[in-house]
Amino acid sequence: MRALVPALLALLFAAAPAAAGDLVVQVRAANGAPVPNAVVTLYPGGRPSPLGPAGSYQIAQRDLQFSPFVLVVPVGADVSFPNFDDVRHHVYSFSPVRRFELRLYAREQARNVRFDRPGIVPLGCNIHDNMIAFINVVDTAFASRTDGAGQARFTAIPGSQVLVRVWHPYLRAPANQLELRVAVPDHGVVSQAVPVNLRPPPRPGSAY
Amino acid sequence: MDIGSGPRRIAAALAAAWMSLAWSAPALADPPRLELPANLSAVIDFRIVLTDGERSFTDGGFGKSRFGGGGEDFDVHAVPAAAQLVWHGPIAWNVAGSVAVAYQDEQDQPVDLIQAFATWRPVPRGATRFSVRAGLFWPEISLEHHGPAWQVSDMITPSAINSWIGEEVKVVGIEGTASRELAGGRLSATIGLFGFNDTSGTLLAFRGWALHDQQSGAFSRTTLPPLGPDMAGAQPQWTTPTLEADHRIGYYGRLEYQMVAPVTLSAFYYDNRGDPMAFTDDLQWGWRTRFLNLGARLDLGRHTRLLAQAMTGTTLMGQDPGDPDIWVDTRFRSAYLRLTHEIGPVALSGRLDLFETRQRGEYVYPEDGETGWSLTGAADWHLTDQAQLILEWLHIESDRLARLRVGVPPRQDQNVVQASMRLTL
Repeated sequence: MRALVPALLALLFAAAPAAAGDLVVQVRAANGAPVPNAVVTLYPGGRPSPLGPAGSYQIAQRDLQFSPFVLVVPVGADVSFPNFDDVRHHVYSFSPVRRFELRLYAREQARNVRFDRPGIVPLGCNIHDNMIAFINVVDTAFASRTDGAGQARFTAIPGSQVLVRVWHPYLRAPANQLELRVAVPDHGVVSQAVPVNLRPPPRPGSAY
Repeated sequence: MDIGSGPRRIAAALAAAWMSLAWSAPALADPPRLELPANLSAVIDFRIVLTDGERSFTDGGFGKSRFGGGGEDFDVHAVPAAAQLVWHGPIAWNVAGSVAVAYQDEQDQPVDLIQAFATWRPVPRGATRFSVRAGLFWPEISLEHHGPAWQVSDMITPSAINSWIGEEVKVVGIEGTASRELAGGRLSATIGLFGFNDTSGTLLAFRGWALHDQQSGAFSRTTLPPLGPDMAGAQPQWTTPTLEADHRIGYYGRLEYQMVAPVTLSAFYYDNRGDPMAFTDDLQWGWRTRFLNLGARLDLGRHTRLLAQAMTGTTLMGQDPGDPDIWVDTRFRSAYLRLTHEIGPVALSGRLDLFETRQRGEYVYPEDGETGWSLTGAADWHLTDQAQLILEWLHIESDRLARLRVGVPPRQDQNVVQASMRLTL
């Protein structure tokens, strides 16, 4: 019995992460407004974290818009493009990350595209110029899109020095991306504010 | 109906027109909706017009508006509904088609074809996007017209420049456009080749500028004002805007830059390469018309925008063999500045137009030149997503000696007050 207590304690400490803190990234525009749809990726120790099995993801076409506007997927993910509109859509990307073209009839439900390389895939509709969306294909398990409050939350981050990348389609920076290094404590939560400058979104061109 | 003149009477007439239309507007709480089959749309326009001033060019006069008065007093016109029916939809995966037919009571063909074209837009394979358009269409010059029905947004009457585009600058042609992002903005370049626009310039030469919302039909004629004595045998009292007379191909080019800042600049150059000596059996001539149009759009916040266009050009017609003198040599220029501000469902617009033509030809004399300006104010109230009530006041002043030909003083001013109920289905 006396030997059991230290053994149990040892088991308990072994089960808990050796050092793993939480991080909240708060993205704000120059005027203080929260910035949703920014993609925050973490590289603990500067390296990508191993990805889990890829799930299934979706970009819907509804009311002549893509939804969501920004989608984060891990490398290897399948993304489906259901069309809920009564009109057809012609979804395309000419990104070197993944070039594709989908001809979607009205209310067409099942078409998948696999994304095998990390990077940014801008999407357009060849019929409706003002339909725009972005897929950010990531190579790290720590990746999240900021919510309406401009926040992305991460838990149980291993390591103390973390490389943080913040991307937004209209961010004024090389490749629309900022990098910073954040020290994450072994336990507890640290909050990191990231001020950004955004370009105005492009106006749709005339669709003759 | 005689309402009398004077600012107070005008204001009373305006208020009466507004109230009567607002009263007849459908109950707003639960507006009835009319649905047309997919890809079909229609615009129906009911109008009440109050006007003073001289006789309209549409009625054989020198007036610069579509409607003419009986002199000093206001006349009331209840204009029968005008309507457009538009089919706009896919033909194939990369090809869209658009066909518009209009009913306009005052045209000699009340039902006529307005536009019919197809646009091929391949899926972009890189940063540059290409498209090709072919058919019967207005080249992209007007900043005031939008959509497949080519409707004026927020007002009833387009500027002098775009009124003329609507009358005499519609082509049967093919154009190619390339566009790509540049320095955060977007640059577009268009080259077009066309025919069937050989009489372009006839109205500017014989009538001068005008401000009205009639669109020329493909098979319609437009009336000209009384011609001078030396032209009467060479040109009938009408012109056919969509016509090929000389079998020469014209061209145009357009550049547009949409900046990161909310500014869009455009430049358009047109040359129909018309043969001034060519004519048809019914004396429609090949007019050599060239012009440059510059456009700017500035978005001052989400609800306010400034539009401006300026145009300068020349048109030439008729020549005796071996004689260097041209019968008609007209220089034309015009510019406008328009401000639109949206307050809730109402868009308020104001526009100042300046216009001028000068005559240097052998048989159309300087007395047929003109100068003028116009001020337009409009309130466009979106009652429902299908119904709009637009109230507009148009004031035009112009000076033209040729009016003496029909016993009218050279300086004329005119007010046109219109209330339009526009349904877009």
